[in-house]
Amino acid sequence: MTAVVEPRRSAASYGRMIARQLYFEQLNFWLNPLAAVFTLGFSVVFLVLLGSSAGNSTSSTLGGVRVIQYYVPGFLAYGVMSTCFNSLATSLVVRREMGLLKRLRLSPLPTSAMLAAICANALVISFIQIVVLLLIGRLGYGVHMPHNVGALVVALAVGAAAFTAIGMAMSTLIPNQEAAGPVVSIVFFVLLFLSGLWYPIKPHSGLAQISSYFPIRHMIVAVFAPFDSRPGVSGWAWGDVGALAIWGVVAAVVAARRWSWAPRRTGGGPSRPATRRWRG
Amino acid sequence: MTAVMVDGLIKRYGGLRAVDGVSFEVDDGEVFALLGPNGAGKTTTVEILEGFRGRDGGQVRVLGMDPADPANGQRLREGMGVVLQELAVEPFLTVRQALRRNAGYYPRPRPVDEVLALVGLEAKADSRIKNLSGGQQRRLDLGLGIIGNPSLLFLDEPTTGFDPTARRGAWDLVRALTGGGTTVILTTHYMDEAEALADRVAVINSGRIVAEGTPQSLGGRDVGETRIRFGLPPGRQVSDLPVAASSVTASSGRTGTSGGTGASGGTGASGSGGQVEIRSDRPVEVLAALTTWALREGVDLAGLTVERLTLEDVYLRLTGYRSGPGELAAVSAEGDSTR
Repeated sequence: MTAVVEPRRSAASYGRMIARQLYFEQLNFWLNPLAAVFTLGFSVVFLVLLGSSAGNSTSSTLGGVRVIQYYVPGFLAYGVMSTCFNSLATSLVVRREMGLLKRLRLSPLPTSAMLAAICANALVISFIQIVVLLLIGRLGYGVHMPHNVGALVVALAVGAAAFTAIGMAMSTLIPNQEAAGPVVSIVFFVLLFLSGLWYPIKPHSGLAQISSYFPIRHMIVAVFAPFDSRPGVSGWAWGDVGALAIWGVVAAVVAARRWSWAPRRTGGGPSRPATRRWRG
Repeated sequence: MTAVMVDGLIKRYGGLRAVDGVSFEVDDGEVFALLGPNGAGKTTTVEILEGFRGRDGGQVRVLGMDPADPANGQRLREGMGVVLQELAVEPFLTVRQALRRNAGYYPRPRPVDEVLALVGLEAKADSRIKNLSGGQQRRLDLGLGIIGNPSLLFLDEPTTGFDPTARRGAWDLVRALTGGGTTVILTTHYMDEAEALADRVAVINSGRIVAEGTPQSLGGRDVGETRIRFGLPPGRQVSDLPVAASSVTASSGRTGTSGGTGASGGTGASGSGGQVEIRSDRPVEVLAALTTWALREGVDLAGLTVERLTLEDVYLRLTGYRSGPGELAAVSAEGDSTR
């Protein structure tokens, strides 16, 4: 044991630590090709299926716009949500219950760096999907690109951050890894249905009202707006971006308050699930 | 130099005192075992030492630092290694990748190849973790525990669920690892494991340490009672025995008490179904009296055995185990084995 005082960690070395951890997160993701293909391929397959069946039909709800013009931004939103919410929440529950989070927590890797790398990993995977979906839309279906790129970047970035927080919060509500996949998927797909991913829903309709209480509808609208080329549409859907931001902040608070590094049901000790919380 | 100091440690969960005034010290290079049943407070104690949990009272120093102080967290975790009960590694990485990744967390890690050799996984270095056998995964787990070249290693029930061969292998490995002077805190509920690995043992039950010592001397094992057993000769009563006559209570109950003050001193005897058991801290006197009597009477003491209390006997007594009906030995310690 030495009494050497460790030098204070510089921002650069902290950044390198996150980058290194992100490298291993990516390695772990790509070394499981089946999971990687399914995570990335789901949105692509859906876009191609829907595009092939409804390609050139138009939607009166959207003022005569081709339906595929709606599906491309819809699946951009879907890709980000499925990665940052669905995959992240499931994998966090599995990691927590396997003891992976506890083990990392007991290593010198700062927990903030660990969580930053996990979130960055979700963002990298989201970004890959965004690029692939835009290419398919452009080259396969002749979809025009967003007229307001800034608004698209803001919508995707705020949405990704918000759904990352929601995914982390969701992971704290699920008791065990067997439940993780089904619970997350049911919540996600029901809300996707209500929120008009599969077909455009009329603004101000009852369904639109109900789904506006949930974040998914706002994500789809915010990502669609920059593609909406109807006259007088700016591409900025500030109300929806704001709603996403509020969801993100609330979810982050829930995640921080309920966060647990330790498995909830396994392991020794007399502690009960309700007390197995570690605040950090 | 003291690696770990715990004084009056208290941890509450709601109204329950999971750890209730635990104190012990572990010297540098010592292998210290915390022995106790499930729910005794072992894991909670260790998690407090690791800085994973806070405490409600008492003093704790680990490698000279207070683990509850977040300012120490980084340096504490750089100096310690942890092997948890279950393997916790991403299954798709290879053995080498996992070791290389974790090595990067520490300022002065052991070389990856050295650790691969130590845990005997050179041939599996480039295999995916999910393709390893259970024993190989466990060895990787130990490898990950020592990759940071820790001065203090926590082993949490390292061989639970192992078959006997695998356990011996794991023990050899732990001995090899600790030969280099690493301090080890081991939790286990296997007596033989504590006996095989530990320099010193503390038995913890219901949040309290009920005994502490070397595995050889724990609970007065080295100086305490000896157990003498034999079959009651046909046609003889317990009351005919020279020793029992002065030490068995008048009732024919199973439980012997040591209230006697006869030649055999503190002695307890009990008989049931023809079997007699005598516990005495003066075994030579008891045996002399018994065998003299048997020779004079011309009877045999069938199946005569003389044995020291095993570590398991001591453990069961310390942790308040009560045997069921029909058993000979009824042992108790103060307090109940409440969980």
